[in-house]
Amino acid sequence: MTFQETWLPFIYLYGAGGLAFFLGLILIIKTKALRLDYFKHKKWLGVLLYGLFFYMFIHSMFIFLAISS
Amino acid sequence: MEQMLGTGLDRAVILFYFAIVMGFGAYFGKYSKTTTDYFFGGRRFSWWLITISIVATGIGSHSFVKYTTKAYQYGFSSTMTYMNDWFFMPLFMFGWLPIIYYSKVRSIPEYFERRFNPTARYLATFMILLYMIGYIAIQFLTLATALYKIYGIPLMLTVLLIAFATTIYMHYGGQTSVIFTDLIQGFVLIFAGVLLFFLGIQFLGMNTDMSGFKAFWTFLSPENKLPLANFNSPPDFNFVGIFWQDGIAGSIGFLFLNQGLIMRFMAAKSVDEGRKAAAFNVLIILPISAIVVSNAGWIGRAIANGVPGVIPENVVANDVFVIVTNIISSPGVFGFIIAALCAALMSTADTLVNASSAIIVNDIYRPLTKKSKSEEEQLHFARMASIIVKIIAVILVPFFNSFDSIYEAHGWFHSTFTPPLVVAVFMGIFWKRFTSAAVIATFIFGAFLMILGQFNPELISPFSHGIELRPGRGYSYIGALYNLVVCAGVGILVTLFSKPDKDNKLDGLTVFDVHKLKFLYKGSEPNEAKGTDIIVDWKEDKKLKDGVRFSQNDMKKMKASQGDLVYLQDARLWLGGLKSIHSVFEKPHNEDGVVYIGSKQIDHGQFIKKNSLKAEKEM
Repeated sequence: MTFQETWLPFIYLYGAGGLAFFLGLILIIKTKALRLDYFKHKKWLGVLLYGLFFYMFIHSMFIFLAISS
Repeated sequence: MEQMLGTGLDRAVILFYFAIVMGFGAYFGKYSKTTTDYFFGGRRFSWWLITISIVATGIGSHSFVKYTTKAYQYGFSSTMTYMNDWFFMPLFMFGWLPIIYYSKVRSIPEYFERRFNPTARYLATFMILLYMIGYIAIQFLTLATALYKIYGIPLMLTVLLIAFATTIYMHYGGQTSVIFTDLIQGFVLIFAGVLLFFLGIQFLGMNTDMSGFKAFWTFLSPENKLPLANFNSPPDFNFVGIFWQDGIAGSIGFLFLNQGLIMRFMAAKSVDEGRKAAAFNVLIILPISAIVVSNAGWIGRAIANGVPGVIPENVVANDVFVIVTNIISSPGVFGFIIAALCAALMSTADTLVNASSAIIVNDIYRPLTKKSKSEEEQLHFARMASIIVKIIAVILVPFFNSFDSIYEAHGWFHSTFTPPLVVAVFMGIFWKRFTSAAVIATFIFGAFLMILGQFNPELISPFSHGIELRPGRGYSYIGALYNLVVCAGVGILVTLFSKPDKDNKLDGLTVFDVHKLKFLYKGSEPNEAKGTDIIVDWKEDKKLKDGVRFSQNDMKKMKASQGDLVYLQDARLWLGGLKSIHSVFEKPHNEDGVVYIGSKQIDHGQFIKKNSLKAEKEM
């Protein structure tokens, strides 16, 4: 399997998608839509970051499994 | 005549399922007394109810056919479109969701009028209605294609019967019926998908010399196990094209423009419940849904590789779902799985029909009627509008049937109607400077440049990422990137050369004002002091109109003051807020553990005398 099939889509997905994610995060923090001084909002920030890494983990795990099989 | 699939038992199971859903939906008609109830379910439901009902909305009947086809051809990468929605969650949960909830807009076009001007609203109304009614037509067509093979009745007659069946339960119930029927249909869909996977594994175990799981894993090629498609080939299924079409344009369209989905979030009892529903949906439900809609294709591929001759070599891609299901399931079970396909259709179509009639009432009927109409008249019109929407959708079915496949029809639809709306709403929320002139230019000139691109693929070539151009067929998915760029380009250019809108006109309509939305919603400073929720008995006070009266001590426990907002629900939490009201704290009394409520509110909340209520201060 080539790089085009395995890791390039992964890098593109989390490069471009990650950029959209973090720009969005910065925007809502800067505009105080998400307030880090609120306990509830802090927990939501944790959920948002967890979600991103959860999907990264799932995608990378299956790429490893496919390569190793 | 083609050979009919399934047995008499299968046909009976499907009919029985239709009857159950229609009865269940019609029962919830009693909870729709106003247009707010009809369209938004009274803004009262818990997050878990919203989440499960979203499952059924997100999985259309076309999903099974479309994703099974891709799963059969390409393996696990068929899940891509279900696993790329997280990137816009920060902006959705903390930008768009509070804006639509607290600004009390009833439809996306209404947001366009408030944020820009009436012309923007009319253009948005036209485009969104076209999009949704076409989508309903595709749903009707997909299910009719499957059922017509099972019952052997003509395709258009099957379409009419399906449209009639969904009308019965939606006509009186509106959003509440939609949410509760989608709740059971969501469970049916997930169960059917898991059952299908289990049956497939069992079939592989029985027909190979390995255990079912081992056979499944062994007979899928390494390429089949990759979770993302090849970067830029083949032209009909490549990662980069699908990323821009679905991961970017589709995700923004789904989260920010899908009137049906937005109405579902507005039916939540609070913004925080909406956030919980959204997060749980994307993190837990969407990956499960991806397996539910794709696994028949993976099983089919493993069977084709491991048990040759069972699946015909020349199988038509769109038929894979029905063929695999028929092979691995016994009579009755096949009927149940096709009933799940019906569930997928009905739940997606009912959401879209309800959303379309909300737009017709809110963005066409109300602005055009000079005299203000009573709630009853509006509700009657809303019900008539939902019938009209279905009639137009049925008329459109032959048009979509003329495409080579449902997948193609759906793809054409997405790439044509989503980009201008996506750019307009996104820039409207996140760029204060974005002007009214710019949004109209985005709709008109953006659409013009998109059409130009469709007829001149060389314009799209610079964006193609090396995807091969198919002669006569142009670029498929990557066209979305070109469309987004030209629409955004027009919007930015016109904004820079036009006069900015006044700042106060934008109050509460952009992400920059989210922090003051609660103030605008309540009309006074929100009370953020954290109190405790309490359980109280209720008594009727015929003099009370909008507010409710608690004892002084109970208000202290809740840290509430007169004028604050309160949410009261039947204390049985499994009802998910079905029997509940939003109200205002009025002058307190001295009878602890009792709340006084007006007759109209008791009727609206459908409260039962012997059952206690749970009260929580909102703000």
